[in-house]
Amino acid sequence: MAANAGNKIRNAKLVLLGDVGAGKSSLVLRFVKGQFVEFQESTIGAAFFSQTLAVNDETVKFEIWDTAGQERYHSLAPMYYRGAAAAIVVYDITNPASFTRAKKWVQELQAQGNPSTVVALAGNKADLLETRKVQIEEAKTYAQENRLFFMETSAKTAINVNDIFYEIAKRLLQGQPAQNPQAGMVLTQRPNERLVSASSCCS
Amino acid sequence: MFSTQIRDVDDFNPRRRRTLWNTPAASMLTTTTHTIRYPTSRKGHASAHQLSAKFEDLYGFMVEGNVDDVNVLNDVREKIREQGRVWWAVEASKGANWYLQPRISSNGGEGVISVTSLKLSVLTNTITLRRLIRKGVPPVLRPKVWLSVSGAAKKRSTVPETYYDELIRATEGKTTPATLQIDHDLPRTFPCHPWLNSEDGQAALRRVLVGYSFRDSEVGYCQGLNYVAALLLLVMKTEEDAFWMLAVLLENVLVNDCYTDNLSGCHVEQRVFKDLLAKKCPRIAAHLEAMGFDVSLVATEWFLCLFSKTLPSETTLRVWDVLFNEGAKVLFHVALAIFKMREEDLLRIQHIGDVIDILQTTAHHLYDPDEFLTFAFDKIGSMTTNTITKERKKQETVVMAELDQRIRRLSSLKMDG
Ligand SMILES: Nc1nc2c(ncn2[C@@H]2O[C@H](COP(=O)(O)OP(=O)(O)OP(=O)(O)O)[C@@H](O)[C@H]2O)c(=O)[nH]1
Ligand SMILES: [Mg+2]
Repeated sequence: MAANAGNKIRNAKLVLLGDVGAGKSSLVLRFVKGQFVEFQESTIGAAFFSQTLAVNDETVKFEIWDTAGQERYHSLAPMYYRGAAAAIVVYDITNPASFTRAKKWVQELQAQGNPSTVVALAGNKADLLETRKVQIEEAKTYAQENRLFFMETSAKTAINVNDIFYEIAKRLLQGQPAQNPQAGMVLTQRPNERLVSASSCCS
Repeated sequence: MFSTQIRDVDDFNPRRRRTLWNTPAASMLTTTTHTIRYPTSRKGHASAHQLSAKFEDLYGFMVEGNVDDVNVLNDVREKIREQGRVWWAVEASKGANWYLQPRISSNGGEGVISVTSLKLSVLTNTITLRRLIRKGVPPVLRPKVWLSVSGAAKKRSTVPETYYDELIRATEGKTTPATLQIDHDLPRTFPCHPWLNSEDGQAALRRVLVGYSFRDSEVGYCQGLNYVAALLLLVMKTEEDAFWMLAVLLENVLVNDCYTDNLSGCHVEQRVFKDLLAKKCPRIAAHLEAMGFDVSLVATEWFLCLFSKTLPSETTLRVWDVLFNEGAKVLFHVALAIFKMREEDLLRIQHIGDVIDILQTTAHHLYDPDEFLTFAFDKIGSMTTNTITKERKKQETVVMAELDQRIRRLSSLKMDG
């Protein structure tokens, strides 16, 4: 894979945590391969993916750990979130129990994880508005109180999926000298392309 | 010859059969059902090697691979036929149910006979069987051989004939956390397999998993068992036999508490595995350690799904042949072998992502079970069940202390919050 000339590549470990069936694997699959499948195999232990993103003239290479959601797999989680630069805590907006579980993950990350970890909260399945059970205001307030950034996403329709990863990448790069602060983040033209080409950068 | 054998298998407890996986065993072994036909010669079409094809493997899974994989699978089908002939020849000389005789069990489980009553014929049968099983049980014989060597048949014989039917009846209409999770996972279990993707297949899988969750409420249902039970159904053909294989697996073959509560058994196995890797593949272990790569990151799934999500189906089942006959130590052989096969490549790699890519790609393409298992036994060197039992005992204390500490930390969090 040819890296952009003169581009710094920053490796970032990212972990997805959340209740079983919240859509962690689906979010990753959408982000990495641009796909969605109706019946995503349940994750055992964890699955690994990598994806590269360009933000301005820098590149973040995400090493993504998509963990298993079932409660008894909880004891394996530290292995995956240890040393993570970022975490996405996922819940399903149609399932209040998954929101409760998400809060527990946030709490655990705050207590056990690295304080500099960028934590995002994703209210997934945002396409299922008719069966929504977790109100957006409630999640927003919770996120503000806990200094997380929050988005509602849909792995099915792709809404906000790339955005949440870009936002994380941006925040990871913050604190480093920004060379071109005016330029926005650049989205991959084709989500299944692993590396954003230099030409689409800073346009 | 196959047709006779199939009839034998079909006659095996027909009354208690609930659902049958409908792909006839004979066609499974004799037809190749590629979606696209590819040149059969391995040489000559260099570019064809890169072509990716979707094809059906020996157990009906739709898989993706290149032309070499298709060719290897065809060779494997041929080897299975040969291996079948070897089994029938042994049957012809020793009698139809020779392997159902008492034997010396390396599992230390059921059917063990004392050394004083040891007869030479028993000893030779045990050795012959072990050798034959390592070379592979023909798919049509798997149900019968597995039930016998694993101790599942013995387990079943201790309860009334109606046990399974009654168990299933007792579960009907009941909802538990386990049944909810099972229902959620049914359509997510090998959706690439046509039968498992069908209503019949999912109903059968549901009964086996729900039935087991009522048999052992401590295990209930653990994700991962869905894949194991699904593959058992495909092999055993009847739900009830699959159920008993699942029971013997969890209750006798695998480490205790592999799937219960906090997966403590699984943590123990992971620690044993790390120690073995350091002993058997010290260079790899040191390199990965220096990279900060914890082998459990990949190996956890291997041990929980017994490689069913990792290796091609026939290769997985060849591992299970040995698993049921010789015990869980084969899982370590296989896990170590996947690392060891790529030793030189792994030593060159500096990124965690690349380690995982290499291991996954290697494992997914192990279509030739003979080559792989020979490697796993010859290149890893012997390990006895005893050593592993001792090693587990040692790790158990550490794991328990660790999990305990974690629970206390987390519950103190909840008090604050
Ligand atoms: N409508 C809708 N369905 C979704 C969405 N994301 C995931 N799903 C479905 O929800 C189910 C569970 O999705 P997964 O991605 O497997 O969930 P998970 O969190 O990885 O689950 P575990 O691996 O078991 O912990 C699948 O059947 C998906 O198709 C979404 O955004 N919208
Ligand atoms: Mg998942």
